[in-house]
Amino acid sequence: MKNTIRVERAIKNITQEDLANKIGVSRQTINAMELNKYVPSTVLSLKIARLFGKKVEEIFILEKGD
Amino acid sequence: MYNILYICFVTNKYLNKMKTNFLFPNYFKKIGWVILIPVLLIDLYSWFGCPMPDLNVTVLSVCIPHGFQFIQNDIADEILTVLTIIATIFAACSKEKIEDEFISKIRLESLLWAVYINYGLLIINTIFFYDTDFLNIMIYNMFTLLLLFLLRFNYVLYKSKNLSA
Repeated sequence: MKNTIRVERAIKNITQEDLANKIGVSRQTINAMELNKYVPSTVLSLKIARLFGKKVEEIFILEKGD
Repeated sequence: MYNILYICFVTNKYLNKMKTNFLFPNYFKKIGWVILIPVLLIDLYSWFGCPMPDLNVTVLSVCIPHGFQFIQNDIADEILTVLTIIATIFAACSKEKIEDEFISKIRLESLLWAVYINYGLLIINTIFFYDTDFLNIMIYNMFTLLLLFLLRFNYVLYKSKNLSA
């Protein structure tokens, strides 16, 4: 699964730390998601989508083989 | 009987509601490390056969064929062992500042990793070491599981903080 968190973050001009604080997770988690090393839970994906004001599908995209 | 079942049921419901993860609060981690580091240094010091203070006292001992009896024993090693175990438990099983789902995943993975490595080492110990060497390594083995976990968990946490694309 891919995601556009890094892009969305750049649009909003916020750091990993800011994003982490806003949704109540650690900075490691944001970093791991941006590097596609961690697939977040549904709750976390929904929180991220709500923060960016987009649909979950616009931020998290399935890849071949998923 | 039914009362006990009911208590278990209620406790379980309560624990589920609290989303418990059986971890100590974050400040226990600091307490753990503050005890662990000096205790490990003293452990190392005593492994090299350096003299320890003599703490001979009368202790209650459970002797398998005879039952309870009072014996004289130097309790320095008992104190060290208990302190090492409590300190490693505190350092390993306390919440991070922000304990989220990714950290929990690393925690579980590291525990599994530590179990495999620990038992791998135990097999090597069983096959290649005999008599007192075997027993000595078995004593260290009491602590290696959690120490391996601590190493792996903190290494992965550190790495995931500093990795960049």
